[in-house]
Amino acid sequence: MFRLNLKIALRNLWRNRGITAINVGGLAIALAAFILVTMYFTYETSFDKSNPNYKNVYVVGVSYPEFKTNYIAAPFAKAIKQTYPEVESVGLIKEGSFELTIKNGKNTLFTKNILAVDYNAAKILNIQPENGLTKPSGEVERLNYLSKESMQTLFPDKKDNKPEMVGYGASNSGITVVVAGSIRSNEHSNFVFDGISLAAELGEHDNYDMNDYSIFLKLKPNVNVANLEKKITDLYRYELLKNNTSKKSTAELKAISTFLDPLSNLHLRPKAGNDMPYKTLIALSVLGFLILVIACINFTNLSIAQAANRAKEVGVKKVMGAYRSQLTLQFLTEIFIQCFVATILALILAELVLPYFNNLFQVGLSIWQVDSDLIWQLPLILSLITLIAGIYPAMVLSGFKPALVLKGNFSTSKQNSWLRNGLLVFQFCIAVVFIIGLLIINSQLKYMRSQDVGFNSSQVVYIKNLTLFNNPVKFGSVSFNPVRDRLLKIPGIKSATVASFIPGGQNGINSYEVNASKANIDFVNVDFDYFETLDIKLKEGRFFLNTFKTDTINSAIINESAVAKYSIKNPVGQTIRGCGIDYKIVGVIKDFKTQGFESIVQPTIYTIKDPCGSYKTQILLKIEENKMADALAALKAQWPQINPKDGEDFRYEFLDELYGKLFKKQEQLQSVFFAAALLTIFIAILGLFAFAKYITNGRIKEIAVRKILGASDVQIFKLINSSFFIMVLIANVISWPIAYILTKKWLETFAYRIDLPAMPFVSSALITILLTVITVSIQAKKAVKANPVDALKYE
Amino acid sequence: MIRIENLEKVYKTEEVETTALNGINLHVKEGEFVSIMGPSGCGKSTLLNVMGLLDKPESGSYKFIDTELLTLNDRERSNFRKRNMGFVFQNFNLIDELTVFENIELPLIYNKIPTAERKKLVNEIIERMNIVNRSGHFPQQLSGGQQQRVAVARALVTKPKLVLADEPTGNLDSSHGNEVMELLCELNETGTTIVMVTHSSHDASFSNRIINLKDGHVISEKINKSRNEELI
Repeated sequence: MFRLNLKIALRNLWRNRGITAINVGGLAIALAAFILVTMYFTYETSFDKSNPNYKNVYVVGVSYPEFKTNYIAAPFAKAIKQTYPEVESVGLIKEGSFELTIKNGKNTLFTKNILAVDYNAAKILNIQPENGLTKPSGEVERLNYLSKESMQTLFPDKKDNKPEMVGYGASNSGITVVVAGSIRSNEHSNFVFDGISLAAELGEHDNYDMNDYSIFLKLKPNVNVANLEKKITDLYRYELLKNNTSKKSTAELKAISTFLDPLSNLHLRPKAGNDMPYKTLIALSVLGFLILVIACINFTNLSIAQAANRAKEVGVKKVMGAYRSQLTLQFLTEIFIQCFVATILALILAELVLPYFNNLFQVGLSIWQVDSDLIWQLPLILSLITLIAGIYPAMVLSGFKPALVLKGNFSTSKQNSWLRNGLLVFQFCIAVVFIIGLLIINSQLKYMRSQDVGFNSSQVVYIKNLTLFNNPVKFGSVSFNPVRDRLLKIPGIKSATVASFIPGGQNGINSYEVNASKANIDFVNVDFDYFETLDIKLKEGRFFLNTFKTDTINSAIINESAVAKYSIKNPVGQTIRGCGIDYKIVGVIKDFKTQGFESIVQPTIYTIKDPCGSYKTQILLKIEENKMADALAALKAQWPQINPKDGEDFRYEFLDELYGKLFKKQEQLQSVFFAAALLTIFIAILGLFAFAKYITNGRIKEIAVRKILGASDVQIFKLINSSFFIMVLIANVISWPIAYILTKKWLETFAYRIDLPAMPFVSSALITILLTVITVSIQAKKAVKANPVDALKYE
Repeated sequence: MIRIENLEKVYKTEEVETTALNGINLHVKEGEFVSIMGPSGCGKSTLLNVMGLLDKPESGSYKFIDTELLTLNDRERSNFRKRNMGFVFQNFNLIDELTVFENIELPLIYNKIPTAERKKLVNEIIERMNIVNRSGHFPQQLSGGQQQRVAVARALVTKPKLVLADEPTGNLDSSHGNEVMELLCELNETGTTIVMVTHSSHDASFSNRIINLKDGHVISEKINKSRNEELI
């Protein structure tokens, strides 16, 4: 029986091969998208899952009134370990705060992140050097490991895993360090590094004012986390009070609490951060699922449309004694075979698209992995789509009454056509939502690109640098003035400055007081010419000037938001107090968007002198456009003299490119929506194409009769198009409010955004209607052009 | 062999109720060839469908030999049908995707006959129906008469006790129609009971007994003397 059913199925598919190809092809494309999304979802939700402690690891975070952070003081780790027996072990890690140059002879390596970890943290976080994890002891204070790739760069011919000597910094620095071996950095982890600096203990000399570390806990199984969280908060307040270094009042302490964030949250939705990545991932998954549903709807729709052709077969088989269950199974098998073929095609497609996908999402996914979750996910997906696409048609087809269908004048009932139309409308609804979404994302991105951000990042070169240019001199820092003088001698360099933070990155936060009102605001430590280099607009007062002696002692410039925050009237000349200094406000600048468009401009203070500030290492140069290449070449040549500490390692980036990274997420979203909109509309149109073909085929006799009775071609085109036209119109009307709500929500994630435009709604309607009319008309043309006599003779 | 008593069947739509069968009583003896005639809408097709277990009446009794069929559930009806009945339709109802051989084979498959025996039975009937050189063809490649021969072959291959024919010549020209009627007569002569619905008194003349229906009633019954004499 299976053999005969298979023959019937194959011959049927072959007879309708055009439609079969559309159906299977459409499904394959959608499945490919779904497979990619599934792989991405699995990847994103399984960061650090290979860690055997995965379920019991928590990071200790601190919640301040203004923000939450995972940075905390090192001594607290010991306090937790000593107080709570349910904590099995406590580890400390600290990210590298600056870029490091490592050399072996001519081979140079620039590391971005050397992670400092203590022995316990390495154990908790499953950080394993190639030659095993050993605790530094005796003379050896730190064991340094470099990632395999880094080792390869420094020692291309190295085969063994023996320790090696390397130089730190410029070749004239004279610092040498032993690298104990290599370590594999797991890209699929929250802890990605170029190297590890392993210590027996970290932060032994730190106090409770130095929030530089992250504390990781490994809890014993079945610990009540909420309870422990409360206890740790109490302990933290107690320790702060006991070691009262920053003299916080009881009220201030009460406002501070700690939280435990599981390792599984860190990648997508850390409590000290935002859950945008998680939301994006969910949105992406929903998107992938919807595309698949659309393709399945095509299947359902066409199978039901084809029902009339299969009705006779069902009737005959039933007359011969086939059970309904046998027939249901037969149709499900047929659809399963098609879905199976689609799955194979989808895998091939996914493999072809994967490089672009990996590039877009900055991941390294691969389909052909033995340990891949796809091995169990694919059969599941296959069964799922077979059921979604097949169960309804199988029930409808197998439910035909033989006494009715064998009479030969069978037509599918009205109820089916309602369902078919409903499904078609649903497909177009989704397509319309995606089109509107895409158009609105485009508008917002266009706005972001064209909008004045308040400063000019073009032709600004950012130079990476190790020398500290703080003023007054601290921790061996030097004055920037001689460096600036040398830089300005290079033709093309218009201005040079140094600052602690650059636009596009995070600023520091500290407490400042104006007229007895205290607030935590952003601070940036700058040097002369900072505002000039970035072309920031002055609102009142003046910029920092060499001619004013006080500027390097106690002058401050604040932005408009800071003026508003403290509600200062006539700010210039007033005093703002912070870090034990009474700063005199000498100027107010207009707000500029250092953080892009998503967050509102923060109240910010700019000072040259700041004992509590950060290291000034970020050199910014404004260079004339047509002399850019020459100036960069000259900089590279002269850098060892200008900045001996970096020596020959001259590295730079263009500020506009750095700042542009803030738009990367939106551009990613734009690409995804572009692909999704294209896919949904394509698959929906494919379905429509095949569907229209069936409808016109079914109406050939009607069309012939109408033509004989004198209908013109145009009238017949209108007749066939009208029902589809109405359906697409309904789909548009239904999706408008949905798209409105969704896009509005998305726009609300931006502090600076466009007003929701009406145009995308109109455009989506025009696009879908136009595509529908074209698609249907292509089908209708055949029926219209056919000789009516042929159609009628057939009876 | 068949005893039908007080059969009633009503078709309901939203607006109207149509009584298709209104207290039909009908007895068919084993080996008989019965024709059912009557104007369009008189209920003859409905009666045939009920006899073929394709439709359920509201009330009445339908005994086949000694089994009451109207109390069976769907699965039992399917089982009974495939073991005891064969069908011939006006529009042939061959499956377009299957060859002549495969079409005829189909009922045997549903009766779970082993492959080797299936092959033997199909070949026998193909030979008997004189369509040997057509066995690999698809229905569309055959003339109407040939298609109906295949349909008859398919109805007979399971050796049913009862063959139900719904206007078997309705889509055929007179010479092909006669061929099919002769085929049914031959079959009847080998002992198969046949019930046929027809519009054509010519076709009806091949049967032993003609039953006339109108508005769901049996209005007359006529023994076909010429045929019966022939038999004797």
